[in-house]
Formats: sequence, C-alpha cells, structure tokens
Amino acid sequence: MPGLTRESNLNNSSLQPGTEEHIPPGRSLWADGIRRLRKQRLAVVCFWIIVFYLALAAFEWIAEARKWESPAFIRWNEIVGPSYQKPMVPYEWTTADGKTEIRREWMGTDFMGRSTFRRTLYGAKTSITVALCASLISLAIGVPLGAAAGYFRGWLDELIIWLISTLSTIPYLLLLMAFAVVLRDKTVFGLELRGITSVYLAMGLTSWVGICRLIRGEFIKRKESEYVLAARATGCSNARIIFSHLLPNVFHIIIIDLSLRFVHFIHAEVILSFLGLGETDKPSWGAMIDAARAELARDVWWEMTAATIAIFLLSLALNLFGDALRDCLDPKLRVD
Amino acid sequence: MTVYIIRRLLYTVPIVVGVLLLTFFLFSVVGGDISQQIAGKNADAETIAEIRHEYGFDKPLFWSLDSQFIDHFRKALTFNFGRALDREKISDKILRGVGPSLSLTVPMFLGTLVLSISLALMVAFVRGSWLDVAAVVLCVAGMSIPYLSFIIYGQYIFAYKLGMFPIMYMPEESLLTSLALPVLIGIAAGLGGNLRFYRTIVLDEMRSDYVRTAFAKGLSTAKVLFKHVLKNALIPIITSVVLSIPYLFLGSLLLERFFGIPGLGSLMIEAIASRDFFIINAMTFIFSLLIVVFTLLTDICYAWADPRIKLE
Amino acid sequence: MKKRAVQVRLAASILLVLAACLPAGCRRRSDSSASERMVIRVPMFSKIQTLDCGNLTDVYSIGVASQIYESLYEYHYLKRPVELVPLLAEDMPDISEDHLTYTIRIRKGIFYHDDPCFPDGKGREVKAADFVFALKRIANVKYMSQRWTDWNGRIVGLDGFREYTKSFRRESDVDYSVEVEGLRALDDYTLRLKLTKPWPQLIWYLASAVTAPVPREAVDYYGKDIMYHPVGTGPFRLKVWERGFYIELVRNENWHGGTYPTEGEPSDWENGYLEDAGKPLPFADAIVYRIIEEFQPAWLMFLRGDLDIMQIFKDNFAQAVNPDTLTATPAMAERDIRLLVFDDPSVFWIGFNMQDPVLGPNKPLRMAVSRAVDRQAAIRLFFNGVHKVAHGYLPPGLEEYDPNIVHTDYAKYDPAEARALLQEAQRIHGGSIPPLTIAIPGTSNLDRQIGQFLQKYLADVGLQLRVDYMDWPTYLDGLNKGKLQIFFSGASPSIPDSLDMLMGFCSWNWGYGGNHFFYSNPEFDALYRQAEPMFPGPERTRLCRQMERIMLEDCPAVFLNHRVAIAIIHGWYKNAKPHEFSYNTAKYRRIDLEKRNRYKELLNELKKKSK
Repeated sequence: MPGLTRESNLNNSSLQPGTEEHIPPGRSLWADGIRRLRKQRLAVVCFWIIVFYLALAAFEWIAEARKWESPAFIRWNEIVGPSYQKPMVPYEWTTADGKTEIRREWMGTDFMGRSTFRRTLYGAKTSITVALCASLISLAIGVPLGAAAGYFRGWLDELIIWLISTLSTIPYLLLLMAFAVVLRDKTVFGLELRGITSVYLAMGLTSWVGICRLIRGEFIKRKESEYVLAARATGCSNARIIFSHLLPNVFHIIIIDLSLRFVHFIHAEVILSFLGLGETDKPSWGAMIDAARAELARDVWWEMTAATIAIFLLSLALNLFGDALRDCLDPKLRVD
Repeated sequence: MTVYIIRRLLYTVPIVVGVLLLTFFLFSVVGGDISQQIAGKNADAETIAEIRHEYGFDKPLFWSLDSQFIDHFRKALTFNFGRALDREKISDKILRGVGPSLSLTVPMFLGTLVLSISLALMVAFVRGSWLDVAAVVLCVAGMSIPYLSFIIYGQYIFAYKLGMFPIMYMPEESLLTSLALPVLIGIAAGLGGNLRFYRTIVLDEMRSDYVRTAFAKGLSTAKVLFKHVLKNALIPIITSVVLSIPYLFLGSLLLERFFGIPGLGSLMIEAIASRDFFIINAMTFIFSLLIVVFTLLTDICYAWADPRIKLE
Repeated sequence: MKKRAVQVRLAASILLVLAACLPAGCRRRSDSSASERMVIRVPMFSKIQTLDCGNLTDVYSIGVASQIYESLYEYHYLKRPVELVPLLAEDMPDISEDHLTYTIRIRKGIFYHDDPCFPDGKGREVKAADFVFALKRIANVKYMSQRWTDWNGRIVGLDGFREYTKSFRRESDVDYSVEVEGLRALDDYTLRLKLTKPWPQLIWYLASAVTAPVPREAVDYYGKDIMYHPVGTGPFRLKVWERGFYIELVRNENWHGGTYPTEGEPSDWENGYLEDAGKPLPFADAIVYRIIEEFQPAWLMFLRGDLDIMQIFKDNFAQAVNPDTLTATPAMAERDIRLLVFDDPSVFWIGFNMQDPVLGPNKPLRMAVSRAVDRQAAIRLFFNGVHKVAHGYLPPGLEEYDPNIVHTDYAKYDPAEARALLQEAQRIHGGSIPPLTIAIPGTSNLDRQIGQFLQKYLADVGLQLRVDYMDWPTYLDGLNKGKLQIFFSGASPSIPDSLDMLMGFCSWNWGYGGNHFFYSNPEFDALYRQAEPMFPGPERTRLCRQMERIMLEDCPAVFLNHRVAIAIIHGWYKNAKPHEFSYNTAKYRRIDLEKRNRYKELLNELKKKSK
C-alpha cells in the first residue's frame, strides 16, 4: 500500500534522533482520505443517507426472511384503505376484526388499497438488492479480468481487450435489454431466472467493462512501480504480488467506481421495469413509476412521486458521496 | 498513413466477429426457438413445424455447413436480415425508423450541446464560488432524477395539464409543434450530465500553462475563455460529438414510446415486447457497426492531425 | 491549428448530412381533418399485423381488412339477433338434403380495386375461381395460414390438397390447378362446396373477411408483400399504411354499391339508426386509423375532437361515465359526447390443467380456488364494476346463453367454504397443498395488478400462489403442451355460435386443438357429437346448456367475468350501432360535418362559461 510504504519511510526517518517532533504522524491513504472527507459536511450527510437506505434494505430483508409481522411498516401487502386513497385525507376504515376507525395514510394507497409509504420503503430492498448483486457480479468479472490483463499482458491481454472492445461497441442499453429479454424465464445451471434475478444478472454481465478497463490501466501503471519491483526482487510469487500488493492498492478505485455505478443500476432497474422486464410480485420503485404512467390519468400522482423521491435522494447521495470520495481518496482522478 | 488506416481497419475485424459471436450466443443459443411466437395462437403443430423450417430453427446450431451459426454470419455480413416476426422486412422497418429518430435526437443533441457548453463557460467565469458549487449540485440533482420521471411529469404537466404542446407526435401537424416537448424534455434530462462533463473539460483547460500565461499577459477572463480555452477545448468536445453520432441514429427509447414517435426506439421496444429476436439482433449488429465506423473515423482524423499516433 | 479546423469542418459536415436526412422521415401530410371531406378518425390500441385476408387473426387487422375485402355474406347491420344477408353471393346458399353440398351463385359485375397487379391497372371482375383459390391458399401448408384450423377436416379433398402442398419448397411453387373435389367453380359465377360431414357453422365463416376472394394476379405480383397490398372488392381501399402508426383508407370509386338498410329493431328509430335508410353507401370519403398504444394520449385526443370514437379504459372511466346509470357524465354530455354500452360476448377465466398431479384429481381444491376469488371485487378494481360476473362459460349475446345460470352458485365468493374445501383437498392430497403456480400472459401493469389480486385472495384462504408473468410465446407454448399448472385466459367467439366455444372442452382437442385444460369427460364429448351436425334450434340450445353444466360441475376453470363494452362517441358520429360480430361497418358510418366543425367553438364557449 502506498500508505504502508509511506509509513515505513516515516518509521525509518523517525529512527533518527531529534527529528521526531517535526514530522506529522503518518496516515494511510484511507485514514487520510476519510479525514478529508469528514471535513466536507455535504459528503457526511450523503454518507448517512446512504447508510440509512442500506439499513432499511437490510431490515426489510431480515424482516421478510424471518416473516416478522411488526413493525407495521414492513407489511407492504396489507390492505389499509380504499383503492387510490388520497394522501393525508382522513377516511373511515373497517379493519379485519370489525373495528371502524378514522385513518390517514400520509402517502396514499395504491389500486388495491395498500400503503404507498410501506411499498416505497420496501422498494429500497428491491432496488438495493438489484444494484448490489449487479455490482458484485460486475466486480467479480471485471476485477479479475482487468487484473489478469494488466499484470500478465501478452495474449491474455489481447483476448480481454478484444472482449472489452466487443462489448463496448454494442450500445449499452441495447446490450442490457438484449440480455434481460433473453435471460428472462430461463433456467441456467438449475437456477430459475425469475423477476429480479434476471435483471441483476443482465446488468452485471453487461457492465463489467468499465471497471475492467480501469483496473487494467492501474495494473499496467503500477506493475513497474518500485514497490512491485521490490516485491518481485524478494521473490514474491505472481499471486502474492497481485493479491497482497497490487489489489489492495487499487481498492479505492473499486470503491469509487462502485458508488457511482450503483446509481446507474438503480436507474436501469426503472427502465427495465418499464419494459416489463423487472420485478413483478414485490414492490419496486421501477414498477411503481411504471404503474403511475396510467394512474396519472386519474390524478393518482402520489405513487409516482414517492418512488421518484426515493430514487432521487439515494442517487443524489450516492453521486455526491462518490464524487467526494474520489476527490479525497485519489487526488489524481480529481477533476475539479 | 495508408498503412495506419489499413492496420486500423484490420483491427475492426475481430470486433465485428466478436459482436456476431455474442449475438449468436444470445439469440440462438440462449434465446432459441421462437416459432411459436411467429405462428400465433391459432396455429396447429403442422404450421409451427413449417415455420420452424422456414426460419431455420430446425437446423443444427453448429457443426454443419448449413448450420444456424453460418446463417447468422451470412445474414449479418450481407445485411440481409430477413423478415421480422410480423413478416415485414427488417431492413424496411429500420430504414423507416431512422428519419423520425433523427428528427428527435438531432435537435435534442444540438440543443443540449450548445446549452451545456455555454453554461459550462459561464460557470467557468465564477469557478470556485458558491454559484459554481450550486451549479454542480444542481447538475448532480438533475442526473439523480430517473429519466422516466422526467418524461412522465413533463408530459403530464406541459401537455395534459397546461395543454401547451400536443400530447403525441402528430404526423399531420408541423414537426416543430409535434416534437417540441419531447426535445425539451430530452434536453432538460440530459443537461445535468452534459454540463458537468463540459465544465470539467473547460476547467481542465483553465489549469493549463497557456491560460496562466494569457492571464499573466493581462487578458480579461472573457477573452481568455473565448479565445483560448474554447478553442483548445474543442478537441475533446468534437471527439465526444462525433462519437455520439451513432447513438443519434438509435433514437430515444423512452421518449419515442411516450410520444408515439415512429422511430428506432419504438421499434426496439416493440421488438422486446413481442420478443422479436430477429429485430434486436439486426439492430445490435447495425449499431455496433456504426459505432465501429465512427470510432475508426475519429481515430483516423486524430492520426491525420497528430502524426505521433501512427508510431504507436 | 489548421488540422483542428479540418476536424471542425468534418464534424460540421456530418451534422449537415444528418440534418438533411430529417425531412425525409417526417414530411407534412395533408391535413386529414380538413372540414369539407368526410373523414372518420378511429384510434387503434394495437398495431395491425397484416392486411392479407387469408391470414387475418387479430381483431384489429380484421377490423381494417373488413372495410377493404368483401366476402360472400355479411351481417345485417341493424337486425338482432344477428342475421346474415348475401353480399357477393346472389342469394343464400343452396344446401342439399344431407347438408353436405352447398351451391352458391355469385353476383355478376363485382370488380376488384384498381391495382398495378392487373394487366392495365384496372380491377378485373370477380370469378368463382377466386373463392376457390382463396380457400386453397389457406390450405397450402407453405402459406402457413393461421386460419387453417377452421377448415381442418371440413371439406372433401382439401386436406389431401394440404398434404400435396407439403412436397413443395416454397409457397409460390404450389400448383393451384390441382382439383379439390369439395371445392369447385362450376362456372364463372357458381361455387360448390362439399363437406365431409354436416357443418352448420360454415355459413358464418363465409361472412368473414378471411374467405374473401383473392385475385391470383395480386398473389403472384406481390408475393410475400401482399400483406401490405390488399386487393379486394370493398367500399374502401388502402391509401397509406405507415406501419405501427397510421392507416388511411379512401373510398373505392368503382365499388359495386349498396344502400343503407331500411329495417331493423324497433329501437333503431328512436336511436336514429334509421335516419339514413335507403341512402347509398358508403358515406365517408376516408377512414383514418391512428395507432396509439397508450390509452391516455388517445383519450385526450378524443376530448379535443381529434378522434370520433374512443374506448373506456380503467383510468378514464370516472371522468366519462356515471357508474350508477352507465351514462355519460354531465361534463361529457355538455360536449355532446355519448356512450354506447353493450354486451361484448366474451369470458375470462383461470384455467386448471386437469393433468396436473395436484389439481387434476382434486376437485375440492379447484372448487376452493373458485370460492376464494371475489369476482365482484375484481370487476370493481379492474373493470370499474361494469363487467358482468361469469356464472357460467357461455357469454350473454350468444343464443345459447342460459339466463338462469345467474341463480347457480358456480361463481360464489365464500372464503369460509373455500377454507372448508381446502381441508377436504388436503385430505385427498395427503398433506398440505404445495404452492400453486399461475401463468399470466404479459408483464404490463394491469397484468401485475391482476396477479397480485389473485395472490391476495388465495392467500386469504390459505393457498400460496406463485405468479409467472410470461411473454406470449412462452405462455402459448406452455398452454399447448400442457406445461402450465394454472393459467389466466379468455375467449370471445368470432362467430355467433356456442359450439365453437364448447369445442375447447372436447377431449380430442387437447393442446393445439384449443382444450388447454386437458379436460376430458365422455358424457360431454358424446353430447358434443350429438349437437355438432344440428342447425340452430331449441334442441341444440338445450344440448349446449347441458354441456355447459356438465363442464361446470367438473370445475376445470374459475370463470371470472363477461365483458361489457363501452364505446364513447362524439355526437357527430352517426349510425354507430355496435355489432358484436360484424366488422365491415365503416360504410354505414356518417359524420355530421357541420356539428364537428363547430366543436372547437363549443369547447371555447364551455371554457368561458366555467370561468
């Protein structure tokens, strides 16, 4: 790690007596980056927004897996009012056990009378699952290929470059849709591709090119750097150099790329839902926006608005945070 | 120069082959037999068998002189994509869609370009100030709204509620009124990303030595911006413009669908809805080819402009 | 610097070329709403596939093609119950004693549209041989007509002809001069059909555009592209077809002529459907079909007066219809917008695969599903409460519909009973019922809502339901091969005959034949065989109703609803009597141009008033 090498330099120098007090304490790249990040108030706010969304998704996920019934907001499928109840307007409602009460649903209800608020919260789980799985798949393909191409060069590099150029020659949306439409309702290696599985698979399989290219470039650059040459001189194997010297050093690039890519996946889910290629049974933001297309005609604007705001906040936070992260962790990539 | 062009041309061959391999794998190996779709609801097994034969689904995938694999390459390389599921020629469909798609995307693209470059220059005037920060945050905010929301709200508010524009593309009305709203929505949705991109380019130039020299000479900011920065920023701008041209032909998937514009985006959506792999396949190949060609053009232009590239 | 200028110029010239392409795709069309021409403007909610009459399947294609083609018979426009009258035929067919031989005289002096496929571009006269050719073409296996199933095994020798065509490589190679015994032109104006067994429904098929005469010249001239170049004899001919967006038909000046009917139902006088009695047809100069796949824009175009007729869909209902009386809302009435409400014979259901190991042997389970679904609620949510609950299978509007069926409880919603039935079902199954899977064709928002609705209601009685939203080909394939456990489906009869509907439950029609339930009941089969050769009459009606009851007892499907169609029209759209089976109705429609031209003013006045 650059941090590590820097630290060892510092340690060397600190051995010299009498100079200690003039040298600031050493900081790793990460510590340094995070310190700088903390100073940006906007980035910190964004960070907590992202954490909130992730926690919400995780909570919904656990609640579903454990079949929890409370708190109330996880029961997205419960009918809480009449069909298309307006937000904030009080209404009379008879519950299953016969009690009649005056209620107020602050984001309104959908066609079956289910709470838009609860469905929007649940949508976080769907969208984040899609984006997370797609990211993992694209990393799992992109990083090893990029690393191998950049480190070994030669015919392997040629082959991977060919793959990259082929994929990036096809317009991304076309490629994504082609994958999504072909993968739907297929069984691949015993895995049934239903609903969002085919969505994130299609996204993951088509989006690894960017990260692959980045990693390859970094590897080519760093392969000849002093610390790698030093490692090689001490007799480290290729695997050791890649895994314990090179990969940790490009990790921040992966993180930055990931935070920005996440946004693309969330937006892509909306488009795929519109095309009828998305999640079907459970609420997702894409499906909610798609539903709103027809519902706006009867002035049902709340479903669409709730989903749009949910996406907007998360995307904004991710975008701003990703930019800040890049500026702080990798000043060379810094653009402004 | 000629050697470079030839080498560059040869380099495109494996890419075209790669695209064909990928589409074959997707549509023939994974996608498979769609004869049922062509046959429709009323067809009997006999008719379906006949259709399988006509479209070649009964041929072996590989390992034969008359395999689907060979067919796939032959069709693509001769640009004879045959007929779509509704039995119309695919080439007719695509040619018909190009005009409407371009009349949507070209004004949209030019509008976004002009607007975002001029805004980028304006932002460069106030770089570093709170206005600059606000502009960047606004850009990111614009990028964070789903494209679909832009379209749905835009159409709902400006066409349905306010009645300022026609709701749909009307062949009998003038192009200007028909396409104004989708073009404006497209510009609004694309502005954020583009402005941020051009702002980066302009600011990059601002940091270079010649700009510092120009300022040192005592030139005004306006003069530096328009005389030096814009001129030098033209290269990356033009590159991005030329490379976006193939995408203009592709049209806009969502805008076309919502405004009923009979372009290639609509064609694509239709093809997906009816699972017409023939159309998706043909479109994928043709647009990949377009992108290859335009990339080639830019590279050759560069080589022409900068002889050092040839040595690479 | 100089080289950079070259690049600029290059980019500029590319953009110029692009700009030059623009006008090609979007020329300005002559204004079709010009006030002096009588143009009917109709929205279409789906693309039309083909205008080749031998391969028409979807209602939209048939709707357009029926204005261009004419067949031997047509439906009387006003009389109900529906009745056929001769169109290209001289008279009703001459049917032999044994009901096997039909002899039909054809009218003289019928000419095809003028078309470049004819030697001098002038349409030639229609001959009996053209009808023979049209049917042989449908039989030609290389033509791959989707209409062959209607004719399979019906006409003496035609199946042999189909076998014979298999030996050819291409459609155009087939030699049509081979004689088919049951399908012959005795002379230029006489057609004779011989059936393998009595087929009373034949006459209805002869009233469909599918059996319209086809000139051999057109098929030879256009080849596969005949689907865009329909050559018929009808009152309109195709002028423009921009696929997927716009179709314009114009009046055929050489049409043989016809007059508006002079008699009809008693109520036709009140409704003004007889104002034009005896006047020459057609009224309109042109028909424009706008294909608009989203409802919302079409609705707004209608309100602005850019369309003459519109459909009611889920989300504009409240604006247009008073739900209690099914009449136009005051806001619509102000604009002189009217509603036409009528039974559109159709039925929708959730079908069970009777060969499924879980569902097949377990009638209580199927009954439980039936009791668990609240049809009223579904109709309220998805069809604004307008559709009718399907108590049985045969829809209202058909002669054989049993009005007493509403008193049965086949369509009862009773979750308590469903739970009890489920107990019984579990006993038969020997354990708890595994999750069931329903296939729904389509992934649209409405499809998803229906899926979620069913999941919800089955969950309420303790049944787990998985929904597979399939694309159409996967769904069809699954249906035909019996791979679906439960499926969402529906049917509407294309001819006014119940046997055609009941065919879908005969054991010999499993799979591709249309029995997607893989249902089999020997008693049902026997009754069907008995009714098959009968002409409509009380005895046949009795048999049909009996068959329906037998089938309902076995519960191979949960029948949900019958559609009630609501068309919404402008006051200027005259003679718009709905017909459930007839498509060639555009010739009767008339536009009150004066009224239509005043509409813009009316809108302005209303706007002022509301201010």
